[in-house]
Amino acid sequence: MATQAISKNSSNLALKLEQVGKKFGDLAVLEDLNLDIEPGTFVAIVGRSGCGKSTLLRLISGLDQPDTGAVYYDGQVHRRLNGGARVMFQEARLLPWKKVLDNVCLGLCKQRKDRALAALQHVGLEAKADEWPSVLSGGQRQRVALARALVHEPRLLLLDEPLGALDALTRIEMQRLIEKIWLETGFTALLVTHDIAEAVALADRVILLDGGKIDLDVAIDLPRPRHRDHPRAIELEEAILQRVLNKPE
Amino acid sequence: MIKLKWFGGVAGWLLPAALIAAWAVAVQNSWLSSQILPAPIDIVRSAINLAASGELTANIAASAVRAGWGLLIGGGIGFLLGLLNGLSKTAERLLDTTVQMIRNVPHLALIPLVIIWFGIGEAGKVFLVTLGVFFPVYANTYHGIKTSDPQLIEMGRVYGLNRWQLFSQIIFPGALPSILVGLRYALGLMWLTLIVAETIATSSGIGYMAMNAREFMKTDVVVLAILIYALLGKLADAGVHFLEWRVLQWHPGFKRR
Repeated sequence: MATQAISKNSSNLALKLEQVGKKFGDLAVLEDLNLDIEPGTFVAIVGRSGCGKSTLLRLISGLDQPDTGAVYYDGQVHRRLNGGARVMFQEARLLPWKKVLDNVCLGLCKQRKDRALAALQHVGLEAKADEWPSVLSGGQRQRVALARALVHEPRLLLLDEPLGALDALTRIEMQRLIEKIWLETGFTALLVTHDIAEAVALADRVILLDGGKIDLDVAIDLPRPRHRDHPRAIELEEAILQRVLNKPE
Repeated sequence: MIKLKWFGGVAGWLLPAALIAAWAVAVQNSWLSSQILPAPIDIVRSAINLAASGELTANIAASAVRAGWGLLIGGGIGFLLGLLNGLSKTAERLLDTTVQMIRNVPHLALIPLVIIWFGIGEAGKVFLVTLGVFFPVYANTYHGIKTSDPQLIEMGRVYGLNRWQLFSQIIFPGALPSILVGLRYALGLMWLTLIVAETIATSSGIGYMAMNAREFMKTDVVVLAILIYALLGKLADAGVHFLEWRVLQWHPGFKRR
């Protein structure tokens, strides 16, 4: 089942944020944020809407720049879009005028069709290679988007609520797929989500953002593959949820 | 299903055929004077005569050449300027106001001026067609570029596309449906402009053929000229249809049936 195209990446990205702050007008979305992420870990960022988690992801990706502080990739200050990082957005953002395979090829040179096809195989959609994106279901589109990200062998994969718009069953399927691929390839992963169960199911470490600051930073020390009904998982989920809910607005 | 398909292909031609039949009957029974509207068969006859003498093809060719040059020049300038103003804020600030101002002058109002500038030669007619097709192509290209999806562009940047790739793979294909709408309007205006321009002072073209026939009260040739305009218009429209079908296969609205 596993293909050669997506190989275990030995040099995963170490990420560090130092006193990062971002303002939109007078509103400080992030303040003095410090964060250290070990290479190859899966980190989930949760929080209420408007807590700055998507902004944080955009700063890390290089799509936006912090007003204060800096983001470090492997100890180097990082200011522009980085070839080693790929983003999966909430919407699949496939190009409707390119066939599925050509969407996966985006940004690759033309000779790499075989790799794109292998990536499609990896997400179980090689049969759809020659279809237009408009005929795919929401879950299939996100799988194509995942293949498009994986084909570049990213050292850092940034996931901006990519499963937010999917139905419950497809979500669980996608979570398993992402976990499986992460285990095989071992990139550093950063998942922004509002679903605490999803964060606990996938991440090594869950970070709760509140008011632009880190409110909670928990290690999830559960064995993989994980079971959602594991008592410890439920306990952790409940603890994080209580923390979110009991915070005054 | 098969029957329906067959019907679909013919359905569009049912009404014109019925109208021609009614017209033939009306002339036959002298309800209509053949001075006002000659019988369809007379028009066919004069078409055959004109075609045999080579006059018809020469006139159609003369008109087509004018239309083609006008479309090429006007459409080309409109397309490039639409791209430029859509992509560059500076160009837009500099040029868009001027273009919008000129747009509000009906181009056919320039005919007297065009005659003074270009005389009655080919240049004046091509110039009028150029002006006529420029604006629809410009406006729709500009609009298509301006409304390209910022989310897709952002995605393209994250996936390492350079500026040219962003344009050729994301911005331009996204603008293409709108550009083709512009082309369609342009083709309509192209014939319209040509009809008017060819009635001024010409010695060739379908418009000339019609004006000339009017002087001799040859109504059949006048009607023939009008019918040729209708056919050419339909032909141009079918061309754009074909183009849409070719390049917009991905678009759910233009799906292959």
